[in-house]
Amino acid sequence: MSEAAGSTGLHTEDMTLNVGPQHPSTHGVLRFVVKTDGEVINEAIPDVGYLHRSIEKIGEKCTWHGYVPYTDRADYLAAMFANQGFCMAAERLGGVEVPPRGEYCRVIACELNRVASHLIAVGTFGQDIGAITPFLHALRERESINDLMEEICGARLTYNYLRIGGVGYDIKPETCARIAAFLDHFEPIVDEYNRLLSNNKIFIERLADVAVISKEDALQYNLVGPNLRASGVQWDIRRDIPYSVYPELDFEVPVGRGERGTQGDSYDRYYVRIRELLESCRILRQCLDKMPEGPAVAKVARKFKPPAGETYVRIEAPRGDMGYYVVSDGSEYPYRVRIRTGSFTAMSIIDKISPGIMVADLIALIASLDVDAPEIDR
Amino acid sequence: MSEVITYFQNIKDTVSSIFEGMSITFSHFVRKPSTVQYPDRIAQQVQDTLPLRYRGILEVDMDICTGCLACERVCPINCIAIGIERNAETNQRDFTLFDIDICKCMYCGLCMEACPTGSIRHTQEFEGACNNPAGLVRHFVTENVPLYKPKKGGETETRMIQKVDIGKRYMDEIAEPES
Ligand code: SF4
Ligand code: SF4
Repeated sequence: MSEAAGSTGLHTEDMTLNVGPQHPSTHGVLRFVVKTDGEVINEAIPDVGYLHRSIEKIGEKCTWHGYVPYTDRADYLAAMFANQGFCMAAERLGGVEVPPRGEYCRVIACELNRVASHLIAVGTFGQDIGAITPFLHALRERESINDLMEEICGARLTYNYLRIGGVGYDIKPETCARIAAFLDHFEPIVDEYNRLLSNNKIFIERLADVAVISKEDALQYNLVGPNLRASGVQWDIRRDIPYSVYPELDFEVPVGRGERGTQGDSYDRYYVRIRELLESCRILRQCLDKMPEGPAVAKVARKFKPPAGETYVRIEAPRGDMGYYVVSDGSEYPYRVRIRTGSFTAMSIIDKISPGIMVADLIALIASLDVDAPEIDR
Repeated sequence: MSEVITYFQNIKDTVSSIFEGMSITFSHFVRKPSTVQYPDRIAQQVQDTLPLRYRGILEVDMDICTGCLACERVCPINCIAIGIERNAETNQRDFTLFDIDICKCMYCGLCMEACPTGSIRHTQEFEGACNNPAGLVRHFVTENVPLYKPKKGGETETRMIQKVDIGKRYMDEIAEPES
C-alpha cells in the first residue's frame, strides 16, 4: 500500500477495494481489485477465472457432433455464434459444403441472436448506471425473440441449432412470417428506446467523455467487435473476411463518431450497439426475401472423422471476433479446440483505462465493454 | 454569462428528457400488458402453448423402440442407460432397463434426431422439480418388454398404427430435414 503526503500535507493512503465477485454490475462472476484514492481509481486489476468450466478440454472428450451443444455454453447470450464457429471449423476440416438454405437459416438465427444479445447489452448498460426501466423494455423485446427461437429450434437459450453441415431444423414459412412481423414491430421500438435512453440528457452527461479508448489503444489492446468500432476503426469480420452468405447481403458497419463527446467514449460504445440492432434487422429482412429452397443440411456421416489437419475460423459474434482453432488427428474426437473470445481482450484494457477515473465510472466502463463472464473464462 | 445560460439550458434539457421518458412509461397504461401472473392466473397451461419443436423433458414410447442403441451412443453425457437381455423362454430379446437421467440431460436433442422410429422424443413438459435427485431418473421399463420389430408391409393393429404414426409425425416435424 503506497503512502504519500497529499498536497495539503495530510497523510493519505490508498484503499484496496474488491468489486465483485458478487457485484450486481459485473454480469456474472467477475472480480476487480481496485486501489482507490478517495473516489479516484489508481489501479483496477481484473481477476478472471471464476467461471472456468473447461469447455476447451471437454472438446477433446466429445465426438465432433457431440461437442456442438457444449459450445452453447461458451457464451450463453450468443450461443448461436459459438455453434457457428465450431461447425464452420469442422466443415472446413472435413470439406463439408453447406447447402445455401442452410447458410441462410444460419444467418437468420445468428442475426436474431445478435439482436437479443445487444438488447441485453444496452439494457443492462442502462441498469448498471441506474436506469431500470429501459432494461425491462429491452428484455420484453428479447422475450419475443426467445419465442421465435423456440419455434425455430426448440430452445430459448442454449440453442444447439447448428449442425456440422447445416442446421438442425429447417425454418418454416410460418416462422419466417412471424420473424417479419417481429421486425415490423421492433424497428419502431428502437426509436422508442432512443427517446427513453439514448437521447436522455442525464444518460448522455453520465457517459459522454467517460473512459475514452483511443483508436491506437483499441488496436493495441486487441479490442474487437462493437468496442473496436466505437473507437472509430471500421472492422467487421462479416464484411472484411466474409464467411457464410454475408457477401450477398447489403449492410453497413456502424462506427463511433463521437456525436455526444469524444470518439471512443462510453456513449459511443453504447450507441454503436443501438445502430447495429437496426443493421441486423436490415440483414434479417434481406435474408427472409432471398431464402432459397432446398435442403437445410448436408449429408454428414454420424461418425464424422475429418482428415488430420488444423484450421482457424473467425466469425463476428456480438462481442466481437470469435475464433475457433481446431486440430483434428483424423479420429472421432477433436484433438484440440481453442476458443478465442472478445470479452477476454476487453477485460485487459480495463487495467489501462481505469487510472484516473471515478469508481462509479468504472461500472460504466465495464458495462460499456459488454463483457460476459462465461465468455471470458470458458 | 454563458455559463449561466448553459446551466439553465442543462436543467431545461434534463427536465424535458425526464418527461420524454415518462411519456413512454405512461403510454404503457393503455398498451396490452406483456406479462402474466405466472403460475396462478394464466389463461392456458404454458405447456399447451409451446411449439411442437420445444425441447422439454424426454419421453420414450417403449412400444416402438427397436433397441438400436443409437440414442445411447450419440448422447454426449451418457444419460441414457439401456439394458437388453435375451429371454430364455420366448427366445426374444427383452429390454430390462431404459433409464434417462433428467438431472444430467442438457436437452440438446441429439438423441431424438438419431432415433429411427421417433420413439424417444421431447415433450412440452418442463417442470421437473422434486425433493430428491433420484426422482429425476425416469424409468421407462418396469417389467421386461420385448424389442419392437417393424412388421413387413406395415402395422395391422390400430394401436400400433397410431403409435408408429405419432413417431413419424414427430420425426417429420423435428428430425433433420434430410431424413
Ligand atoms: S437430449 Fe441430449 S443430453 Fe439429453 S438424453 Fe438426449 S442426447 Fe443426452
Ligand atoms: S429410443 Fe430410438 S434410438 Fe433409442 S434405442 Fe429406441 S429406437 Fe433406438
